[in-house]
Amino acid sequence: MGIEPGRLHFSWVSSAEATKFIEVVNEVTEAVRALGPHDNFVKHMPKVA
Amino acid sequence: MKVIKIDKKDWADGLAKLSGGYRLFGPVKDKEFHNFKELDNGELPDFDFSNTKLSAKSMVFPQAEAMFKYSLDENEADHHIMKEAEKDYSPRAAIGIRPCDAAAFLLVKKNFDTPEYKDPYWINAYEASVFVGLACNNPCSTCFCTSAGCGPFHEDGLDVLLADAGDYFLAKVITDKGEKLLQAAGWNTEADAGEDQIETLKKEAEAKITASVNTDGLKDKITTELYDAPFWEDVAFACLNCGTCTYVCPTCWCFDIQDETHGTSGIRMKTWDSCMYPLFTLHGSGHNPRGTKVHRVRQRFMHKLKYYVDKYGDGIQCVGCGRCIRLCPVNIDIRKVCELMNSYEPADAACQVA
Amino acid sequence: MVGYTDKIREISERLLKEGTVDMVIGFRQGSMPMMNEPCFAKRPEDVEKLTWDSNCGINLANYLTDRKEKIGVIAKGCDSRNIVTHIIENKIKRDQLVIIGVPCKGMIDRRKITSMFETEILSVAEEDGKVIVKTGDAEKILEKEEVLQKNCAVCIHRNPVIYDELAADLVEEQKDIDRYADIREIEAMSPEDKWNYFDDLLSACVRCYACRNACPLCYCPTCFVDESQPQWVGKTTDPIDTKTFHFLRAYHCAGRCTDCGACERACPVGINMRTLTKKLEKDCFEYYGWEAGLTLDARPPLDAYKPDDPEDFIK
Repeated sequence: MGIEPGRLHFSWVSSAEATKFIEVVNEVTEAVRALGPHDNFVKHMPKVA
Repeated sequence: MKVIKIDKKDWADGLAKLSGGYRLFGPVKDKEFHNFKELDNGELPDFDFSNTKLSAKSMVFPQAEAMFKYSLDENEADHHIMKEAEKDYSPRAAIGIRPCDAAAFLLVKKNFDTPEYKDPYWINAYEASVFVGLACNNPCSTCFCTSAGCGPFHEDGLDVLLADAGDYFLAKVITDKGEKLLQAAGWNTEADAGEDQIETLKKEAEAKITASVNTDGLKDKITTELYDAPFWEDVAFACLNCGTCTYVCPTCWCFDIQDETHGTSGIRMKTWDSCMYPLFTLHGSGHNPRGTKVHRVRQRFMHKLKYYVDKYGDGIQCVGCGRCIRLCPVNIDIRKVCELMNSYEPADAACQVA
Repeated sequence: MVGYTDKIREISERLLKEGTVDMVIGFRQGSMPMMNEPCFAKRPEDVEKLTWDSNCGINLANYLTDRKEKIGVIAKGCDSRNIVTHIIENKIKRDQLVIIGVPCKGMIDRRKITSMFETEILSVAEEDGKVIVKTGDAEKILEKEEVLQKNCAVCIHRNPVIYDELAADLVEEQKDIDRYADIREIEAMSPEDKWNYFDDLLSACVRCYACRNACPLCYCPTCFVDESQPQWVGKTTDPIDTKTFHFLRAYHCAGRCTDCGACERACPVGINMRTLTKKLEKDCFEYYGWEAGLTLDARPPLDAYKPDDPEDFIK
């Protein structure tokens, strides 16, 4: 669809794995931040006549 | 009436002159087919087409059009107040609109410009427009304009009628608006026997029309009997309710009103809608008076071929462009439906069902 | 094709006379070249209008959704697979149906043929694998193999997978077909090129939803694009809204799409939206070994959990 692969992450995290959850969230945040903003799918005011 | 001869070598220059005073619209090839759209700077209309995929109605009645704008920012003095959207109603000219599409505007005008109700968006755009029609020298097999109150050289609704005569166009001046446009383009050589030349081309074109509809019986049919006719289930069976017929139709005028808000600013828009869609008639209560596709298909044909006929008394709400026939994904053909309606006798049906 | 038509009429007439079915759903001759119209026959004498040729590309499973009658339905390979999907998804009951299977040799691509001629096509006929096209000033004979609808050219299930009657002998299935060459090309693009590719692909969309309405899978009582509380998608032809519609619709078809081509065939502006559904079809095949609608005995992969489902993408 034109979205960079690095923007989408899948992970199994059990409700008991708090430490893993923190790690995953930090990783994902850093990875997405490194990619910068993705503007393609941002909806603006429609261009109408 | 005056007929101007426009040498094709003077065509592009004339259009360039026009683009100073008018926003130009015309048929343009887009991938596989022609579209009717506003021309880019220096872009020429492409006349190598039989007709555009969608009609030219969007020039006056765009698929989506802003009516109002508003702000939800309470720091602004006029927040939550609808304000008129800015519009460009400077002169615009359709270069190469087909006569059927121009005639269709006159039918649509009956809806948008009445003594009681006036749609300012439609009327302002329509009145800002000059229509330079391109006569059809080669109508398609699905064109039935000549039996739908129109024709390949039909002049009603046009300001100028252009006829392609090989190396040159013959431009028949129909209104003052048209005359003014031709002068602005610097086209002013009168053609020798122009009217006769056009008449000859017109006869040739009309002779090529093979499709037709009979509409003489529609007026005298009893509305409720037509409504209850047994053929609707069969007519509607294949229908997908996609609404393609209504989107491509030059005479379909139904619209919806939608708001879109982004952040604290928003617009209220008029957008095309279609009687083919269940949503079109869905009530707030959840009840839908046209709840099945048979209801919806019947509505489209009854509106064009019966309700309109009765209300305005000037024929059917169709100019015979044939787009709905060519583009229907399942081949529902208005010519066949018109024949069923026009020839319907309730007594026949009673026998059939028994 | 005359043989097919005769046999279809013969079977349909018998079923209606016996009272085995209340109606037969099939095709009748269209009013334009390369177009037939889905129709029904409810009385034995109505079967005369039924016809069969290479212009029956509309998927008739779409006309079965939630019907209550006993129905005889004409089904080529893809239609039969969507009938299977319909039965699995409870949109029709198996015992309501008498499936008249049509071993299919592919439908012809009316857009492709139209684009091969400068002037309007006035008639198209078929004979022994040839397609004879006449315009006002020319006649041309084309090989049917060369003008097949794109999905038919790569079809590997031409025979109906489920049927009660057959309108002809089974045909040989196409072998050694590379079904996904076009999809691999898109997969190889950079994200930016993909975005631009889809931007261009969908730019002509007028949001009529003919693709959705022609699709037997799209039977939601209210489609997400028609929801108003909340309104997920705007109603204009804004490119983001248009893409949202097409992408999400494709995802809804994942593991269910049979690549029947009805969406593309129905599109009034000629958008090849199969590139979207086919990618998901490819993924379902490669990840789960799944082809939709081949059996009544298994649920589609995105419908069921299995311990051995692939999970390499989960980190």
